[in-house]
Amino acid sequence: MTEPLAIASKAVELRNAFDRARAIPSSARAVEQIEGLLSIRVSGDPYAIRVSDISGLATNRKVVAFPSSIPELLGVAGVRGGLVSVYSLAELLGYGREADQARWLVLCGVEESVGLAFSAFEGFLTVPLTQLYATDQRDAACARVKHVLRAGELACAVVSIPDILESIKRRCDSSRPSKER
Amino acid sequence: MWTFGRKIAAGFTLAFLLLLGIGGVAYRSITSLTNTSQLVTHTYKVLEDVAEVLSLLKDAETGQRGYVISGDDTFLEPYQTGVASVPAVIKDLRQLTSDNPRQQKRIDDGEPLIAAKLAELKLTIDMRRKGNLEETVKFVRAGEGKKIMDDLRRILDQMNREERDLLKQRADEAAAAASGTKSTIVFGTMFSLLFVTAAGLIITRSLSGQIGAAVQHVQSSSTELQSAASQQASGAKESSTAMTEITTTISELMATSRQIAESAERVAHVAEETSSAARAGDDTVQKTHESVSGIQRQVDLIVTHMLDLGKKSQQIGGILEIINELAEQTNILAINATIEASGAGDAGKRFGVVADEIRKLADRVGGSTKEIRLLIDEIRAAVNTTVMATEGGSKAVDLGARQFAEVSAALKQITELLGTTTEAAREIELSTKQQATAVAQVNAAVSEIAKASKETEVSANQTLQTAGKLAGLSRELTRLIQAPANA
Repeated sequence: MTEPLAIASKAVELRNAFDRARAIPSSARAVEQIEGLLSIRVSGDPYAIRVSDISGLATNRKVVAFPSSIPELLGVAGVRGGLVSVYSLAELLGYGREADQARWLVLCGVEESVGLAFSAFEGFLTVPLTQLYATDQRDAACARVKHVLRAGELACAVVSIPDILESIKRRCDSSRPSKER
Repeated sequence: MWTFGRKIAAGFTLAFLLLLGIGGVAYRSITSLTNTSQLVTHTYKVLEDVAEVLSLLKDAETGQRGYVISGDDTFLEPYQTGVASVPAVIKDLRQLTSDNPRQQKRIDDGEPLIAAKLAELKLTIDMRRKGNLEETVKFVRAGEGKKIMDDLRRILDQMNREERDLLKQRADEAAAAASGTKSTIVFGTMFSLLFVTAAGLIITRSLSGQIGAAVQHVQSSSTELQSAASQQASGAKESSTAMTEITTTISELMATSRQIAESAERVAHVAEETSSAARAGDDTVQKTHESVSGIQRQVDLIVTHMLDLGKKSQQIGGILEIINELAEQTNILAINATIEASGAGDAGKRFGVVADEIRKLADRVGGSTKEIRLLIDEIRAAVNTTVMATEGGSKAVDLGARQFAEVSAALKQITELLGTTTEAAREIELSTKQQATAVAQVNAAVSEIAKASKETEVSANQTLQTAGKLAGLSRELTRLIQAPANA
């Protein structure tokens, strides 16, 4: 059991950290080349998503399924007053349907908002860009992963959201019936 | 079966009856013979008197003739004797023949003739005394006297024949009686001898058989008695030895009884002390039971509080879920704010910093809620463990209370049993004292029995000697009884 003294010192530490963050001038922050990442798990494997690639994060949204020729499409969900197509990130990454409920959604896309569903969200990471390493593009299996995060013992693939969206677009285009015919 | 005395008495009775019969017959024969002999003697007396009468008359006639011839008075002596004796003889003869009427008749006929003869003799003697010899001779020659004498001889001869006949008849009767008596004596004696011999043989054989069998029985019985006496002697000796051992054992038993009485007294004393201790223990147990009841109530209160604590922990968990949810939502909002800030360019940088701080704060809140959750889980686990332990303690206290109740009941029962034990120990003490007294009496009795056993041993030895003597006597008696047969 945690001792009361340790809890009190932790409260002091939190208070000091909050005060220190408020005390650091904003110019000092801009000098640092950092990248915001969301640490997630897809079918148990660790992945990261660039915050700059997404437009929002939501959870516990009701996904209404509808018939579609795209197997990765889970349905539509209401987010921020609009309908969002929800796809299974696991299936898009080549996994099967996840056993656990994919209750987390990352919103992405500019023209059409798309939601990528996954089961576990671990946290927000702020890492230096020096800790991101480019992957070998010749490997077809890593088509949707272009960088890998290595920070100490932590190592995970960084999902390329633009490539995911491109893949979705292609699938949608291929499944859409041709008007010329 | 007849007894010896009865057989001997029967034999002697028969012999006595035979002797009595023979004696009676002989007595009757001898009496008859004696009567016949008396009658013969009587007849001889009558014959003698008849001859006496005739002789006296002849003597008187002889004296008369001598006097007549000589004239000498000396010759008159026979005459005078005859005249003087004839009446007495006639009288005797009449008495002797008083039972014979014929002889009485002849005497009646003869007496006048005798008187006439005596008168004739006197007359002639008187005539001679007067000196008339010739007339006297003439008178004699006249034959008057001879005629009287002849008649008288005829009557006396009749009487004599009568008596001779009677004599012959009575001699025959006497001979017959003597012969009968002889035959009776001879045949009766022979029959008696035969009967007595036969009875003697029968009785002897019977008695020999019975006495022999009895003696055999006596001999076998004496042998058995000898054996029994020997066994009795050895048994009496063993009994005497056993009685001595019993006496020793009873003495030890007396000592043991006294020790038991003392021990029972000590047991009663200890039981009383134990009863007091048990009552004190019962009081202590009662107090302890009350304390345990108080502990039980406190434990129940603790359980209630711990259950409340568990419920409160659950409520805290629920609130923490809300805080966690709020932190998560705050985190999401901060992330979304960060995203929006980054999309807003330089204008959003300051907002992005705030959003980042909010996100960090939400992260920390989330981490703290996780720690709080862990703490609450630990508290709930501890509460559950405490509740379970307390329930276990409550059950243990219940069990202890019940066990105290059982201990109290057991102590009460022990107290009651100790009371019973005390009474029993006192009864044992009293009984053991009575038993010691009884054992002392038994010891005295056994000592007497031991003396009696020794006396019995002596008596058995005497009996053994007597049985040996009896066996010897039986063998000797058997030898005496069987000696003729063996010879």
